[in-house]
Amino acid sequence: MTEEPYRWLEAMGNRREYVREQLKGGSPVLAASLPEGILLLGVGTGNTKVFEIHDRLALAALGHPADLERIRQAAIDAAHLEAFTRAPEDVSLRRLVGFGLSAQIKLQYEQLFTAPVLGEFVFAELGAGPESDLLFRLHFDGTFSAESGGCALAAFPAEAENRIRDWLGTELRNVPTRAAAVRLLLEAWWLLSSGSWESSEIPAFAEREAGWRGAIAGKTVELGWLRRRAGRAVRYEPLSLETVLAETGDPNDSRS
Amino acid sequence: MSVPPIAGDFVALLGRHQVSLLPSAASGAAPVETQATTVFAFRFAEGVLMAGDRRATAGNVIVTDQVEKVMELDDTSLLAIAGVPATAFEMARVLQTSFEYYRRSQLQVLSLPARVRALARLLRDNLPMTLQGVGVVVPLFAGVDASVQPAVPKIFFYDPLGAQFQAVNYAASGSGSGTIRSILAFQERHGSPRPSAMTRTDAVAFALRLLMTAAEFDSATGGVNPELHHFATIKILRPGGVETVSDDEQREALRGTEGRR
Repeated sequence: MTEEPYRWLEAMGNRREYVREQLKGGSPVLAASLPEGILLLGVGTGNTKVFEIHDRLALAALGHPADLERIRQAAIDAAHLEAFTRAPEDVSLRRLVGFGLSAQIKLQYEQLFTAPVLGEFVFAELGAGPESDLLFRLHFDGTFSAESGGCALAAFPAEAENRIRDWLGTELRNVPTRAAAVRLLLEAWWLLSSGSWESSEIPAFAEREAGWRGAIAGKTVELGWLRRRAGRAVRYEPLSLETVLAETGDPNDSRS
Repeated sequence: MSVPPIAGDFVALLGRHQVSLLPSAASGAAPVETQATTVFAFRFAEGVLMAGDRRATAGNVIVTDQVEKVMELDDTSLLAIAGVPATAFEMARVLQTSFEYYRRSQLQVLSLPARVRALARLLRDNLPMTLQGVGVVVPLFAGVDASVQPAVPKIFFYDPLGAQFQAVNYAASGSGSGTIRSILAFQERHGSPRPSAMTRTDAVAFALRLLMTAAEFDSATGGVNPELHHFATIKILRPGGVETVSDDEQREALRGTEGRR
């Protein structure tokens, strides 16, 4: 039946709806490029959502844990093979996502009788400065895009992702510290996961602050940090929320 | 039914992609090999110090005095190479990538016994070259054992066939190692302070003097000459990580202990 073009289109449409339905309850993940490095954030209930891929590469993802694991492993394999057969400096996000993962995911998505990848991905590559950082969005159907504006996020539906990404990009210009950036990402996460993104006005700072603080109760906040200045080749380090929020810093946060 | 790959094994991943690891056959017309000597490691009060001179030779020719023979494999492992750099550097690269690959893919750090065996496996894979007399590598390895509390750095040495041995206080390899082991054995038994009780500054100065002495008796050991700004490669492994001792710090350590003598 899928040999007929119309049937094929219908089957693909059904498949797209199925994937969206499966992913819509996923907890959003976010990444932001800051002067000192790139911050990645995910909030979950046990399953890891933020991962190190290579020296300067990291991933944050939402979706089915088994599918995230498969894509994460494929990215790690490809990055390490490239680093070993050429050099670590040759591992690039553009090639990894554009020439490798995207094609694999698209192929799987279009094979109607195989299970599609139930996942949405944000990849980050640390550059010499924020202007050379790369943030990529990779979708369940293999489409991908380089994100501008210093931030990227994976969330459902697409309208929510677009609106909060624009808002986050503007707000990020006003954060003076890493701790303030973490709070801002948590605010964005709360706006997305609570449905508050739909209101005509973005809720005020106090409401956002109270919102994320209440919403993370009983959940695990994962923070990944790609440090721009480091003595070692490995730039990734996991951070604890308590440690980051305790960093000196927030008094000049102009948003509060 | 195909056999599933070993999880987190980078060497197996290379095999699946048919990337060759190390050369396995040598020609009878192989040129005179470049050799790298001398390296050693000893325990001191704060951890393990691993050091090596910077000379590489081929026969009676000095190829360079700028070789780094002590390498940081990851946050908790050091490798010192004596033997043929072409093989040894490749082993170091395989280990570096393997340890990081395992940590990232399996979301946990490779245990010390597994790291020690990974090097033994590479040496065994290099057996055909070793038996032909080319490509011989006799490394030293230091790693932090996190299975005990508090975590402690440990020293291991190998024979060319891949047998691994744990050293209690020190180990040395390369053409100048005989001299260095003798001094270390004497100093550990009769010295005051013993190397295992030395402070960081004393340990660095002691390591430099060991290399100076070895260079007196072995032309393949580059030695140390502060006046010519020839220093050693010295790295320190503590439970908290690896630290490189800079040339300036080596100069200061020598100068400081000269004054106390």
